[in-house]
Amino acid sequence: MDTYDTADSDAHPILGRLIKIGLFLLAQGIAVLLVSLVALLVSFGTSWSATAVQASLLQPGDAKSGSLLLKEDGATTEAIRLGTDIDITVSGPTLRARVTQVFRNPTKDWVEATYVYPLPSGGAVDTLKMVVGDRVIVGDIKERQQARVIYEQARRAGQKAALTEQERPNIFTNSVANIGPGETVLVQIEYQEPVHQSGSEYSLRLPLVVGPRYNPAPIVQSVDFRKDGSGWGATNSEPVPDRDRISPPVLDAARNAPVNPTSITVRLKAGFALGEVRSHHHNVKVESPDNATRIVSLAEGAVPADRDFELTWKPAAEKAPSVGLFRERVGDADYLLAFVTPPSAEQATQRPLPREVVFVIDNSGSMGGTSIVQAKASLTYALSRLQPNDRFNVIRFDDTMDLLFPASVPADATHVGEATSFVSALQARGGTEMVPAMRAALTDKLGDTSMVRQVVFLTDGAIGNEQQLFETITAMRGRSRVFMVGIGSAPNTYLMTRAAELGRGAFTRIGSVEQVEERMRGLFAKLENPAVTGLSAKFSEAKADVTPAIIPDVYRDEPLVLAARLDKLAGSLEIKGRVGDRPWSVTLPLQNAAEGKGLSKLWAKRKIGDAEVTRTMREMTPEDSDKAILALALDHQIVTRLTSLVAVDKTPSRPEGEPLKLSELPLNLPAGWDFEKVFGERPHLTPTQLRERHADARNQPTARRPTPATPDAIRLPKTATSAELKMIGGFILIVLALILFVFNRRQPLLTDAA
Amino acid sequence: MPRFISPLVLALIGLILFGDGAYIHAKAWLAQVLLERAFDRSAATGEVVKPWSWADTWPVARIEVKRIGAGAIVLEGTSGQALAFGPGHIHQTVDAGERGIAVYAAHRDTHFRFLRNVAIGDVIDVTRRDGKHFRYRADSSTVVRFDESGIDPATQDVELVLTTCWPFDAVTPGPERYVLHATLIEAGE
Repeated sequence: MDTYDTADSDAHPILGRLIKIGLFLLAQGIAVLLVSLVALLVSFGTSWSATAVQASLLQPGDAKSGSLLLKEDGATTEAIRLGTDIDITVSGPTLRARVTQVFRNPTKDWVEATYVYPLPSGGAVDTLKMVVGDRVIVGDIKERQQARVIYEQARRAGQKAALTEQERPNIFTNSVANIGPGETVLVQIEYQEPVHQSGSEYSLRLPLVVGPRYNPAPIVQSVDFRKDGSGWGATNSEPVPDRDRISPPVLDAARNAPVNPTSITVRLKAGFALGEVRSHHHNVKVESPDNATRIVSLAEGAVPADRDFELTWKPAAEKAPSVGLFRERVGDADYLLAFVTPPSAEQATQRPLPREVVFVIDNSGSMGGTSIVQAKASLTYALSRLQPNDRFNVIRFDDTMDLLFPASVPADATHVGEATSFVSALQARGGTEMVPAMRAALTDKLGDTSMVRQVVFLTDGAIGNEQQLFETITAMRGRSRVFMVGIGSAPNTYLMTRAAELGRGAFTRIGSVEQVEERMRGLFAKLENPAVTGLSAKFSEAKADVTPAIIPDVYRDEPLVLAARLDKLAGSLEIKGRVGDRPWSVTLPLQNAAEGKGLSKLWAKRKIGDAEVTRTMREMTPEDSDKAILALALDHQIVTRLTSLVAVDKTPSRPEGEPLKLSELPLNLPAGWDFEKVFGERPHLTPTQLRERHADARNQPTARRPTPATPDAIRLPKTATSAELKMIGGFILIVLALILFVFNRRQPLLTDAA
Repeated sequence: MPRFISPLVLALIGLILFGDGAYIHAKAWLAQVLLERAFDRSAATGEVVKPWSWADTWPVARIEVKRIGAGAIVLEGTSGQALAFGPGHIHQTVDAGERGIAVYAAHRDTHFRFLRNVAIGDVIDVTRRDGKHFRYRADSSTVVRFDESGIDPATQDVELVLTTCWPFDAVTPGPERYVLHATLIEAGE
């Protein structure tokens, strides 16, 4: 500041200073600009060496702006109504389900309806029927693209048409075109599924609703290198390419009455005298025509489709049969389905190996409500079961992630206590970034091969990027085994079963708080007892195509399920393996196999699953596995990722010139979920406009009409920055400062003169 | 020298404010440079290429108005962050060149500053990420409220809407939007 005082001797003191200050300010302005540019470059900086995974950069806000929010909910009287009836016949080891969806159009318009619905992931969908008035139109299996084209043509031509497409092995979409005003169209699909067995308990599970999935924003780029080894590849950065297709509108249960009433009937022919038959999440009526047959139906008639239906049954005898063998002849081949429950190893002779267990708990928003309670109770139970010589760690994740301990610690009282209080403080919120959590869990920091390494993953699996998770498990599993625990009223079982299969573990399902202890005890029996390993199957005479090709390890109480296609039904099947450290084998003569139903479809469905797995494991090129899947699907008439069922009523019904409206049927939120936790704040309720799709170009003039009266589907974003405001404000301040400065300079001069 | 302190502080605040405003422009400009590169790669390979590794958006198209020599790379989505870097494609709307209406929005003071100079009848060229070119002609413009855009997403024609805040020279945000409507006249590889 001294310069200002000594510069008085200049010829034009004020001017000189002004120039000086001007220069100073200019320099500073340039400096600020430089700093801001540098700041910008730094924030861009990491991109130049961008290989690191930047999961933490994902903000919760990004997750909430999914397509679900943008679609308004369809809570108006103008919407298409849907009713569902499910009729299941269990015959021994398999079940056949007929799902009838009734689309009723109460509006005055011609409507196209689409409905996203779940099916069990092991189900082979093979029949589509559309009932219009008294006519039944049976659908054909076609390649997916071709089916789409046929459907679109029929839609434009005004013909009634139905299309069944697979979005995920457990998510399907039905589209029905040209439902006339006041009309009702029935769409019926049928699928075949094996009955699930665990210990002496048999079960079937019927998912009724697709839980909203968290679809991660594309952040991490993955690279697909060309197979020819040329080193060229393409980046692929969309983790959920079909996010729109699996994100139907969802109704907030607090504001809307539940929709999609569903009635369920199960005809249970177990093939043995039945003991307890129990529905876990619904009240049911059970009739018993004879001791091996039960007819189960919902006690209160139709229920809203908002949770999975689970039915379990036990044989009257103390022990369930440990072997089941069934056959079916289709065309010139025999199909065989075998269930074998290996004996459990004697506890006394086996000291369980010390274990390293990594627990991963999902505390994302979709787990809000009762799910997080179940998850916390399960984990607390699991922690209490640890032995002092075990080691463990806990990881929690939503769209962020925390490891409780940097590496696994001994399960002593202090550590377990710390973990228990960590778990009880968890709250459900945020997105579901599952891949980084799985990666952290599979990272084997101890590398202590004298310990068995197990990952117990508790989640509802409500994500859309399943494939990325599978690839992570395949790439990183090492010696770890992954045990999936499905939580909540509608977990994503496809994710769970496939992840457990790839991770060579098992899948346990917990549907309510009451089930926690029983199911977790079952899981711990699996964790603590040696698995049956090194399994192989050999047919003595027949040439067989067996699936699964590589037989997974079997855990305590789980049966080994094999499906095979045989050239002739002769000789026997020998299964070998090791229980703990002792060899074990069993021989099944094929002549004793009982007649079963739909086994060929189950075989084909399993083969398709195998092909998808080899594709994930990169043992097969995508082209080869697609070819194999397509051939199997067309051969056995099954809906897959690559094939769809399409039915077209040849007689046109919609008169030319009548417009067609599209109605996406809303889903319920799964029971126990919290709408606000999943979608953030409740959207403002506005009467929904159906998305119109005009099938006829003649409607063009009306299509362009201005619609100021109704709120538009498209809201224009805010498109003004504060840049100018700031720059003007800044400029004014600088000028003000200059004036002040000059004024202040004048003042001393005047006083000096005086 | 206490009497110099207040003007200096004032000047400093002014500079910071000015720098902050300039930063928005600098970011908008620099992002477009990076986006240009990402888009060129994208158009060459047909794949989604992100301009920087953690971007939550990616270039989807290039729009150009040759008469006034203006253009910009359009990003997917219209989150505030995306709009800082370039015009955004409103994501309930179709892609350019598809049947229906594609809506691009951008800030009036950065990427769509040129919109005030676009006259009815001007040709707007859109190059999509997959390398396809579409040529639109501007045929009408309106000023609407942001929640009453009057844009019908179910139109049968192939249409394009460019939108930004209105009025152009205002410095505070407001509810009004300028909507420039264009219809496809030519499509090619």
